Order: sequence, then structure tokens, then C-alpha cells
Amino acid sequence: MTSSPSRSVSAPRLLAPDEVPESAGPPPVGGTPAASTPARRGRRARRIGVRVLSLLALLALWQLAAAAAGNPSFVPAPRAVWDQLVLLSTTHDGIRGYGGHLLVEHLGISLRRILIGSALGVAAGLVLGVVLGAVPWIRLVAEPVVTFVRALPPLAYFSLLIIWFGIDETPKLWLLAIAALPPVAVATAAAVHGAPTGLVEAARALGASRWDAIKDVVLPAALPEIFTGVRLAVGVAYSSVVAAETVNGVPGIGGMVRDAQRYLQTDVVVLGLLAIGLSGLLIDGLLRAAETRLIPWRGRV
Amino acid sequence: MSSRPDPAAAPATADVDVAAVHLHEVEHVYGGAGGPVAALGPISLTVPPGAFLVLVGASGCGKSTLLRLVAGFERPTSGTVRTGGAEPVPGRGAGIVFQQPRLFPWKTVSGNVELALRYAGVPRAERARRVPELLERVGLHDVADRRIWQISGGQQQRVSIARALAGDHPLLLLDEPFAALDALTRERLQEDLRRVSAQTGRTSVFVTHSVEEAVFLGSRVVVLTHRPGRIALDLDVDLPRTGVEPDELRALPEYAALRAEVGHAVRAAAA
Repeated sequence: MTSSPSRSVSAPRLLAPDEVPESAGPPPVGGTPAASTPARRGRRARRIGVRVLSLLALLALWQLAAAAAGNPSFVPAPRAVWDQLVLLSTTHDGIRGYGGHLLVEHLGISLRRILIGSALGVAAGLVLGVVLGAVPWIRLVAEPVVTFVRALPPLAYFSLLIIWFGIDETPKLWLLAIAALPPVAVATAAAVHGAPTGLVEAARALGASRWDAIKDVVLPAALPEIFTGVRLAVGVAYSSVVAAETVNGVPGIGGMVRDAQRYLQTDVVVLGLLAIGLSGLLIDGLLRAAETRLIPWRGRV
Repeated sequence: MSSRPDPAAAPATADVDVAAVHLHEVEHVYGGAGGPVAALGPISLTVPPGAFLVLVGASGCGKSTLLRLVAGFERPTSGTVRTGGAEPVPGRGAGIVFQQPRLFPWKTVSGNVELALRYAGVPRAERARRVPELLERVGLHDVADRRIWQISGGQQQRVSIARALAGDHPLLLLDEPFAALDALTRERLQEDLRRVSAQTGRTSVFVTHSVEEAVFLGSRVVVLTHRPGRIALDLDVDLPRTGVEPDELRALPEYAALRAEVGHAVRAAAA
């Protein structure tokens, strides 16, 4: 099994969330889940093997389904999607990729939108969450509003955003920010509200001001939950990017998928979906890796 | 031999401003779903500076309530509580050690002590100097950079004591700090606390349900009755505070006599 290429990205995902090394001795601070024992390495190799096998099985099923359908506009074969990947990543017959942009450029622009949109949403959600968690009467007023927004499908308020902000980048970023805000706000509010009273009291006993206690105790204690909220938020932003790119979305992976649908280029649609899904997996893997690095005390409060 | 001021020299009614802790007709009632519960009092108590007062009693005698009142976490239902002549405010005038260490897991051992110094208003340069000093005093210099979950329960409680000493407050409040530790660790921490408190000469109020611990640590032992807690026995412990080995101390006939007397009072009060 070649485990080296997939190691850096998939290694954190292969471990269960609670599979942090036992601290029998003094391990390095913020210990990385280094699999050093032969038994553990063997287990990891087996897991990678299972994943590769299931991937191959999936491809075979896909091939079978394509053959059974017999219509590439309905179910394109894996090979056709692969050809599109090559075609869209190069300049061909004077045409650059799809609609004048390479696949990576479509993806890159969408990722940039996701990054900026969810960064804005996370920042606002964090502030709102702290206020909601710390001030009871604001929670009383604002919590239903947050839940209301959370229940709306992004496409529903996108029309309003277009009326307000036009059809360029602004409404897209707004949409992603609004979609990313509620998960962070709700997670932060819950964590701040449920802050460990024992630790807050200990800080007060040491002379901490109210603000000190929030900054030094409540927020660090809430960080694991906030991080879960951030992961959810990025996930929501990801799934909303196609909605955000329904209007004037090219370049952009969602815009590309939408255009391809219009011209019944099913293989391009599938390729776009794969690109969105796989980059989403990658980003979530990075977030998880950041989490174990940034919050070594997770589960120990 | 006793290094603390003679209690007879500090009359109970006078010198309220000088007293480290002063309780006057204090009563405390908790309101709850099952109706109000009288937890404490009425109780009056004056602790002169430098004393090591141990409050002992069975569970539910209000001893932790008393400590929370002295710490300023709660206000008494009636009566007055004063520490150093003023109304108690958390973080001012008293260091507190809780039953659980209550350390911050996002900080290292020295990080926890450093934070306490910061809250006490100690400037950064001085903090860097005083952290090792405080850890040294509780015997922890070699684990300064460890994470909280990488040290034992006994070591965690030592960090908690170092943290409570960081503020240099004249008063130290301890709420059953050793109850969750194994017997051997507990004994060692008791001996170290006895030594540290004799060295610093600050006033301590220590809550426990262990008769042994009370007699070993206290310069004065107060036994509380069952809820609502009142004073059942108020006893000066005239054992040497310094210059004697813990084992020698425990072997003294006076020690055995005191332990028997306090034990008897605790059992009678709980009934």
C-alpha cells in the first residue's frame, strides 16, 4: 500500500476524533497523532486499503450504471468525465478550459468566495454568539431571528441580495456570509452560556474582571465548540456556493455546473460536483488538522 | 512555642478592623424548589491575623457555605461578614483553593500561575521572576512547562495552591482541597501546607470533614453542627507550629487527646 501520497491530507481523518495519543509519559505539547507502533501502522494500512477498495468498487458500479443507461447525457461514463477534466484543464482548439477559464480557475474563484464569505460570517457569528451567550435579554430577542435565518434556504434570500447589491461579487459574498453565520453564532452562544462555572469562579477568585473572565476563560473553554461551529459554517458556505453562482456565476465552479446543465454537458456537471466535493473534503481535513493543533485540551476541560 | 498571636490578646468583640475574618450573627438560607433551606447560623466568629482556622464538620453542616461567604461569592441572608475590616469581594484580599484544582487546561503549569500574577497586577518582568519562585515554594519547579493533564492530581492541587498564593493576600481560604487525593499524597500536601503557612504567617481558613486533618493543620479548630451550621466546639490547638517533624507531632500525647476531643465533638454534632 502506498500510504505516503495521501498521508499529509488524509492522516487526521483516518483517526477517530477521540483517538488522541494517551499521555502516559510527557509527550510533546500539542502532540501530533504520530502512528509509530507497528500494530497501529498496520491498522492504518488496512484502513487505507479498505478505502481504496471501496473507491474502486464505486468506480466499477458507476461504469456499470453508465453502460446500463446507454445514454452519456443521462449517466456519463467515468472515462468521459476524465476526458472533460483533461479538456477543461488545458487550452483546446483555441478555447481555454470552460467558458474561457480553466477548471482550477473556476474552482479557485469559488474557493476565494467561500473563504471570504465564511470568514465574514464566522467573525460576525463569533461576536453575535458571545453577546447571545452572555446577555440573557439579547438572547431572548435575537435567538428567534438567528433560527429564522438559519431555516431559510440561501436561494430564497439571494433574490433580495441581488436587488440590493446587484449581480457582481457583493451579493455572493453576502449570501455566503449569511449562510455561514448561524452555525457559528449558535455554537458560540451555547458554549458561552454553558461556560464552566467552576473555572469562571476560580478566575474571579484570582481578581479577574468580567472582561478578563470572558477573554481568558469563557472563550478558550468555548473554543472546541466554536471550532465545530466553524467547520459546520464552512460546510454550509460550501453547499451554498452553487446557489450564490446561479446569477452571473462564471467564472466559478457553481456557474460552470449551471452552464453545463443548460447545454446538457452532463460529464462537465459531474466533474464540477466531484471538484466541489473533493475540495470540500480537503478543506475539512485541513480544519481538523488545525483543530488538533490549536486545541490540544479538547475533551479535557 | 506557638507563633500565632495569643487569642486571649484579641478580644472577640473588639478590634473588628484588625481581625482577618469577622462574622457577626451571620445566617444563610438557600432558596430552592423544595422550599428555603437554612444552611448556616446564626454564627459569630473572629479570626485574628496569623491564625490557621480549621472548620470541621460532617457533610451538610454549612462549612463550605461559610467559606463562600468569606470569599465574597455570596452575601449572607442576615448578619455581617468582614475580611480585613471590609466587605469581602472575590479576588481582593483572599486567595482561594477549591476542592477541585480548577486549573485552566489551555495554559501550562507556569501559565496558570502567571495568569494569577497578572490578575494580581504584577508587572510582566516581575511575573517572569516570581512564577518559578512560587512553583518552587510548592515543590513543582520541574513540571513548569507541562500541560495540566500531564501532571498528577496532587501536583494539580499544588499548582492551585501556588496560584492562590500568587496574589500575596493576607488571607488564604481552602475548601477541602485534599479530599479528592489519595492518602499518601494528601499527607504530604498537608505537611507542605503546614510548613508554607508557618513560613508566610498569613491567615488561613481551611474547611474539612477530616478530624485528623483538622488537628494536624489547625492552630484553632471549630466544629460545626449539622444544618444550619452553628459552633459546637471552638478549640485552640496548642501544638508547636514549627521546628517539629510531622511524625513526631502525630506521636505527641497532646495530639492524640486533641484528635479524640475533636472527633467526639464532630460525631456528637452530626447526630
